[in-house]
Amino acid sequence: MASNSSEIDHGNYVPVPVTEGIHVPDGGSYRKVFLNELPEKGFVVGKDASLDITVILLPGHSADFPIIVDLIGEGASVRLAGITLCKGDDQVTFDITMNHRAGHCKSEQIFNTLAAGASRSAFFGKIVVAPDAQKTEAYQENHNIVLSDDASVNTKPRLEIYADDVKCSHGATVGKLNEDEQFYMRSRGIPEEEARVLQMISFVAPILTHIGDETLDANVEAAIRELA
Amino acid sequence: MDPKKENDIIEGITRQEYKEGFVTEVSQEFIPKGLNEDIIRMISARKEEPEWLLEFRLDAFRRWQKMPMPRWGHLDMPEIDFQDIIYYAAPKKDSERPKEIDPALEETFEKLGIPVREREALAGVVAVDAVFDSVSVATTFRSTLAEKGIIFCSFSEAVKEHPDLVRKYLASVVPVSDNFFAALNSAVFSDGSFCYIPKGVKCPMDLSSYFRINAAGTGQFERTLIVADEGSSLSYMEGCTAPMRDENQLHAAVVEIVVEKDADVKYSTVQNWYPGDAQGRGGILNLVTKRGICKGSGAHLSWTQVETGSAITWKYPSTILKGDYSSSEFYSVAVTNNRQQADTGTKMIHIGRGTKSRIVSKGISAGYSQNSYRGLVRMNQGAVSARNYSQCDSLLIGSNCGAHTFPDIRSYNPTAIVEHEATTSKISEDQLFYCNQRGLSPEDAVGLIVNGYAHEVLSRLPMEFAVEATKLLQVSLEGSVG
Repeated sequence: MASNSSEIDHGNYVPVPVTEGIHVPDGGSYRKVFLNELPEKGFVVGKDASLDITVILLPGHSADFPIIVDLIGEGASVRLAGITLCKGDDQVTFDITMNHRAGHCKSEQIFNTLAAGASRSAFFGKIVVAPDAQKTEAYQENHNIVLSDDASVNTKPRLEIYADDVKCSHGATVGKLNEDEQFYMRSRGIPEEEARVLQMISFVAPILTHIGDETLDANVEAAIRELA
Repeated sequence: MDPKKENDIIEGITRQEYKEGFVTEVSQEFIPKGLNEDIIRMISARKEEPEWLLEFRLDAFRRWQKMPMPRWGHLDMPEIDFQDIIYYAAPKKDSERPKEIDPALEETFEKLGIPVREREALAGVVAVDAVFDSVSVATTFRSTLAEKGIIFCSFSEAVKEHPDLVRKYLASVVPVSDNFFAALNSAVFSDGSFCYIPKGVKCPMDLSSYFRINAAGTGQFERTLIVADEGSSLSYMEGCTAPMRDENQLHAAVVEIVVEKDADVKYSTVQNWYPGDAQGRGGILNLVTKRGICKGSGAHLSWTQVETGSAITWKYPSTILKGDYSSSEFYSVAVTNNRQQADTGTKMIHIGRGTKSRIVSKGISAGYSQNSYRGLVRMNQGAVSARNYSQCDSLLIGSNCGAHTFPDIRSYNPTAIVEHEATTSKISEDQLFYCNQRGLSPEDAVGLIVNGYAHEVLSRLPMEFAVEATKLLQVSLEGSVG
């Protein structure tokens, strides 16, 4: 057997052992919001179980989040979401592996990043669908807005699919705040800075609405005003 | 579909013929097997090359020796014994008629549908440079093109006749030590095409290169250099085939394209190297570096590729968008069947202001094949208001194949916009049912759906190629319904 170094890729499905960490038992559910930290790296999701995790990272935190999710039972469903707000010299990396090991499972990922200052943000997201995991649905979205000349963003979504009856997609965008929207708001008397704040709030809103926690909304809004 | 029928169909593919798989019996001259400085000197001497080019080769060889074989591809690459390859093979010229093409060779190209004599082709006139193993055997319409100041000849002739141009542009886009296979190519490259379009000239016909591997145990090391000077335009096509053999053969090419201010180059490839048999024996290892640079403002480079052949494809045609407001496109259809593996995609490096790029990639995997898209979009700090859109779709036919997408997006500019989408799915039962119900057999239905799926790319091909590519897609997928 050749060395297992991650740099050598033999182009085939390599069954890696199931990760250790939080185990969501068959039929169970686990839902949690983490602020500025994620103590667990591994999640194992059983039959008909559901996992729903949101990570919110406010400015002033550098962090590296390796996350591995294993869907091991049929009918498991997973939602991973994240908001990254970074400024100054923040360096943030999300490194996600979503292992679909059983059929009829669903996973959804949405990660939105606002990068200001001289921050560096990276998103590596891998979806692996094992050869027998038919009827898998896996979606992944990663949207980034670069707010300053010195900020940079690197996104590497990855789909590795070894089953055929699947629906998988990923979308990644890197861009700026839309000028037409700004013009629309300014022509209606909203000052430019406020317009930018509103745009940024709406950019992260899909993730916040899902959680529905007003204190958290207020925290995020305050942090966005820091970036503007 | 029931397993029995599936077996029948799989059997059908194994029997399916690769019609370009014949061998031409011509007497050929070879140099000894192996790779060392003496071999490189020998190749250089055979080609009567000037001293600077020999130095270039030796320098490349010394660098190559220090480089490791790249292993990052999503590929199960067999070990390549670089000492077990013949690096130069040329058909012997009949000394009686040194100017004439050997009739056996002419017949070979005729059989492949490549006109090595000047004549009207399907969609008008096409000038062809035909390369057989390590040498170019004919280039047509040279005098017609010369009237406009266009240089179109084999690379070896260009070295002799236009050394200044070759020296100026050689390795200016793909540096010698760019990667392992580019370095190898720089050391041992044999022949390829050279093309120069002068300022303001619109090339009156499509230019085309056709590569044929014939001799056993050899490798082909194509080197092509295209230079489009200010305001010129060119459509260039490339095709390739090889005999069926049980061992792998290596094709390691380097293609460099220089697009000056306001020039426009369209580069199309239909790659149909021998893909190996159904058990994955034999086939060409297609390890290629293709790169273009949009040097001046407003330059435009478009890549279109249809990849149906090769046991392994490792190929990333890329564009460096250096000139302000320059633009580039990459359209690709990659089909893999049986045990084929493809790791292909593109790189778009945005350096200039207002540069634009668009990527459309369609992967189709069937049988036991693995098909990957790998792409890089990079927005440098100076790429103000640059724009990229990428769309990568994969279609899976059968449950034993794999489809993978590995994009990499890096943005260092707040005004640049990058969008990437990728989807993976199989042909829907509904679409198949709809076609079957209207009397189309499952195979025809798959062919129809696949062609529709790939249409956005196929429609970009020059007419000549579009017809061939559509047929190739049908043949490549024959019997893969499952």
